[in-house]
Amino acid sequence: MAAEKSLQRVTLTSNDGTQIEVDRAVAERSILIKNLIDDLGESAVASDAIPIPNVNDAVLRKVLEWCEHHRNDPPQSADDENDNRKKTTDIDEWDQKFMQVDQEMLFEIILAANYLDIKALLDVGCKTVANMIKGKSPEEIRKTFNITNDFTPEEEEQIRRENEWAEDR
Amino acid sequence: MPPSALPGMPPPQGREDIESTWNYLQYGITRIMHNLQDGVDLNTYMGVYTAVHNFCTSQKVVGMSIANNFSGASQRGAHLLGEDLYKKLSEYLSGHLRELVTQSRAHTDEALLAFYIREWQRYTDAAKYIHHLFRYLNRHWVKREIDEGKKNVYDVYTLHLVQWRDVFFTQVSTKVMDAVLKLVEKQRNGETIEHNQIKQVVDSFVSLGMNDGDSSKSTLDVYRFHFERPFLDATMLFYQKESQEFVAQNSVVEYMKKAEARLEEEEERVKMYLHPDIAIPLKKACNQVLIADHSNMLRDEFQVLLDSDREEDMARMYSLLSRIPDGLDPLRTKFETHVRKAGLAAVAKVASDADKLEPKVYVDALLEIHTQYQGLVKRAFKDEPEFTRSLDNACREFVNRNEVCKSGSNKSPELLAKYADFLLRKSGTGTEGADLESSLVQIMTVFKYIEDKDVFQKFYSRMLARRLVHSNSSSDDAETSMIGKLKEACGFEYTNKLQRMFLDMQISKDLNAGFREHVQSSLDSKGLDSSYSILGTGFWPLSPPGTNFNPPEEVAADCERFGRFYKAKHEGRKLTWLWQLCKGEVKANYIRNAKMPYTFQVSIYQMAILLLFNDKDKNTYEEIATTTQLNSEALDPSLGILVKAKVLNIEGGSAKVGPGATFSLNYDFKNKKYRVNLNVGMKSETKQEEAETNKTIEEDRKLLLQSAIVRIMKARKRMKHQQLVSETINQIRARFVPKVGDIKKCIEILLDKEYLERLDDDDIGYLA
Repeated sequence: MAAEKSLQRVTLTSNDGTQIEVDRAVAERSILIKNLIDDLGESAVASDAIPIPNVNDAVLRKVLEWCEHHRNDPPQSADDENDNRKKTTDIDEWDQKFMQVDQEMLFEIILAANYLDIKALLDVGCKTVANMIKGKSPEEIRKTFNITNDFTPEEEEQIRRENEWAEDR
Repeated sequence: MPPSALPGMPPPQGREDIESTWNYLQYGITRIMHNLQDGVDLNTYMGVYTAVHNFCTSQKVVGMSIANNFSGASQRGAHLLGEDLYKKLSEYLSGHLRELVTQSRAHTDEALLAFYIREWQRYTDAAKYIHHLFRYLNRHWVKREIDEGKKNVYDVYTLHLVQWRDVFFTQVSTKVMDAVLKLVEKQRNGETIEHNQIKQVVDSFVSLGMNDGDSSKSTLDVYRFHFERPFLDATMLFYQKESQEFVAQNSVVEYMKKAEARLEEEEERVKMYLHPDIAIPLKKACNQVLIADHSNMLRDEFQVLLDSDREEDMARMYSLLSRIPDGLDPLRTKFETHVRKAGLAAVAKVASDADKLEPKVYVDALLEIHTQYQGLVKRAFKDEPEFTRSLDNACREFVNRNEVCKSGSNKSPELLAKYADFLLRKSGTGTEGADLESSLVQIMTVFKYIEDKDVFQKFYSRMLARRLVHSNSSSDDAETSMIGKLKEACGFEYTNKLQRMFLDMQISKDLNAGFREHVQSSLDSKGLDSSYSILGTGFWPLSPPGTNFNPPEEVAADCERFGRFYKAKHEGRKLTWLWQLCKGEVKANYIRNAKMPYTFQVSIYQMAILLLFNDKDKNTYEEIATTTQLNSEALDPSLGILVKAKVLNIEGGSAKVGPGATFSLNYDFKNKKYRVNLNVGMKSETKQEEAETNKTIEEDRKLLLQSAIVRIMKARKRMKHQQLVSETINQIRARFVPKVGDIKKCIEILLDKEYLERLDDDDIGYLA
């Protein structure tokens, strides 16, 4: 990308109409926004706010907080997909603290990260959820996420049989 | 939900409903496809992206409900949505492209090119946008499909290219290519064209080389098939026609210039607007039609160029024919023959009288041809090794087998050695320093081609001996340099004796200094002013005198003194006096009317004769013969010169030197110079020497062959006869070219001497 970006700040509008101004570099952690600026040009976003129709003010601010903290992370390339990052559920300390939010917020963040195309944040979110599941029985998991068991006993037995190989014995 | 920004754009609604979602999307896509230049606003951009996202995510609910319905194990797992969207997009693109096909029919030639390029540009620009807008689909549904190995699913950008290729390109590519080829032909005919258009078409064709198996890789298959192939065909056709017409109306040289220009032009064309991939096949095609197809004509012209010495045109021909496989071989053959003929002709010119042939003239004739054609190889043939080899072959041929060598193959090395002697001898030509050195380098140039290097060695050592003994070598440095060169060319063994000879002279110098001291310190100080050279028997090509000799008293006394001195230093060594090589000076005090005494430079034989006249003024032939003990072969020429120079007067008899003649001292001797050299070599003597040298060569060769055979057998112990012969040839070739018959004879000799034994099966064994 061009080394000299004259535009330094952009404004985003959440779906409830709040405008948030951030550094362009922070906003461009989102590939969606980065592509948009590349495609439409700086002039298009210099005067107008970028509408973010799927994210509300609170979540957008939370997401941008994460982006601000990670603004200088090296951009990950496509090849990274298969390396260790995927295989571990380790999360760095700041991100762990960042993810200490109520469940609803956690899922909102994950959805927003998916929508805005912020892969690293999406990974952190999913890992957080994975860590919530890890080591729990189905019953405990249902309790954690408030899921009602709608399997019949027969169905449950069949699934257990099929997944026996994965049992931690 | 985003507000719809574009007037007439249907509101995005029903996130799970494909129809309404697509209606919304199609509106945005169409705008991007047709009016991208008008720009897309933020709301539309986000709206389309969001609609794609919402469609793909919303139906998860539906997917989940399917899982909830639990209709079998196969339905489990995340079900990603997007297929409908992908299909719609794909259909939309087909529709758009079909429309383009229809529109394209209105255009031909350059207009069609312009149309193609414009639409391609617009389409690919839009594709980049749409790729981004459908990124959610790419990230999830497409990725999953590809990961699962589904064929014919591409990321959105690639989908655009695939559709372009399958729907539009297949319909128009031939026509587009026709237009391209017409344009190129125009340019080849000298018109100026908008070649940027072709470059863009090439780029487009190359972009269509998606690898159907793996979208991340691309191939040049489409480009090669649709562009490269017809382009090469058209090129060949064009140049076939052009070259044939040109050749019919112009000279070969003109054609070569034309071909060269065309080849350069095509290379330039690749750089200007073609894909680099075509460079090699295009070059090959051009080489074929412009050179290979005319190669016979070109080669026929080569002889003409050689004859008229047209270096520049030969260089041109070389560079043309070097472009095609095996193009140069016939040239090399012709070149070799030509050089050989030129060499033979040059020799024939100077060889009208082989006996009186000056060595310098001969060597210069050889060198001139070599220099001329080496220059040609360097300038016209870029010093190409194969041409150099042809040159070497030709030179070897005319150096060893020419008019002069008819009498015997020894003539070349002999003349070369003589020329070397001529250069290295004092008072030769006066060439010195750098000039002399460069002449020696030239001698080595010819020497390299000499097959009978042993003959050269023989003559050279004989003449070196003469130079050293008579101390009329022009400079030690030049001698050392020449020996060094020979050593470099033929190895230590070849120059061993030459070096020893040199060393002997050095040692003798010190010895003489010692002897002089010895004489001065001894009481008897009435010695001669003498100097002696001790020459090692094995190293010098010299033999004892062919006559008895009774040296004059004064000389004999000094010789004896030296003999004692030497024996005291080196016990057990035998000294043989080579009287024929001795010389001295005598002062003539007897001559009347001489303002100062004359000094005669004489051989020892002459000295002995003259000293006799100290005792009396007249001596008969017989008296002289008795006192000196010289036989007539040595005595007659010595006397002859003295008589001829009028130092002695001859009386009685037939006034001929011989029995019955009486000699008297000429008191009225007169000469312009006060130093008179009477020790002039006799022609017959050198002639004899030559014959002798040639005779020893045959003997030496036999010994060389035998020692080579023994060396080989010692290493191998047992060998087939045939093998032994060829191995011997290999070993000895550096010295001379042996005849198989001679080798067989030598093997026979060695069998008789029981160095070797005959075994079964034609084998030869080594007997230690």
